[in-house]
Amino acid sequence: MFEIQRVSNSEIKLVGHFDASQVATASEVFDALNESATVRFDKLDYISSAGLSVLLYTQQRLSKDGSALTLAGMNPHVKLVFEYAGFDQIFEIV
Amino acid sequence: MEQSFGRNLDSLAELFAFLKGAAQNYELDERTTFTVNMAVEELFTNMIKYGSGGDAAIEVGLDREGDQLVVRLVDTDSEPFDLNALETVDTSAPLSERRPGGLGIHLVKCLMDEVNYEYKNRITRIRLVKNL
Repeated sequence: MFEIQRVSNSEIKLVGHFDASQVATASEVFDALNESATVRFDKLDYISSAGLSVLLYTQQRLSKDGSALTLAGMNPHVKLVFEYAGFDQIFEIV
Repeated sequence: MEQSFGRNLDSLAELFAFLKGAAQNYELDERTTFTVNMAVEELFTNMIKYGSGGDAAIEVGLDREGDQLVVRLVDTDSEPFDLNALETVDTSAPLSERRPGGLGIHLVKCLMDEVNYEYKNRITRIRLVKNL
């Protein structure tokens, strides 16, 4: 089960299991974003490199206008994946 | 435990259900379960992407051997794709130079203790070991 919600203009919430079969669903929401936003990970149990790629693409696109994603509330397993990928250097993780 | 899966992303739900059953059967902790889910997804989707274009199923097997969990993926109709010959991912590159390619395999190598690749007669066999 995976859900993505645009809570407000500046907040996106991820829920459940973000695997390669959910890329189109997630991209639809991230592609509509045109300003800095916080992505809430509190209810996200799992993410694979397919999910990381969606976030990377969004961060690269937003950075052209000086905007950025902030990632918040990761569980320790998810956070470790971001660290192994070196994504803790290209995202603010709080 | 062993099961075959159709080579498409729609099989992922079934694959994760299988891995959940294996995790319960072998009494894996939360971190190991997460790690195994991720490694198997990355390699399974890789086999779909870089397969021969045929419809041969992909076999996934897990066994607990003492203090090790051994994971096997077998694709019986594949092109060569040596995981160990891939370029290293630069995890310190600036944002503008980051590319998603190779990231999944990089994570598999970080998360598992052994990654073995074998290709013979169109058959790809990947064997992963996670120390428990």
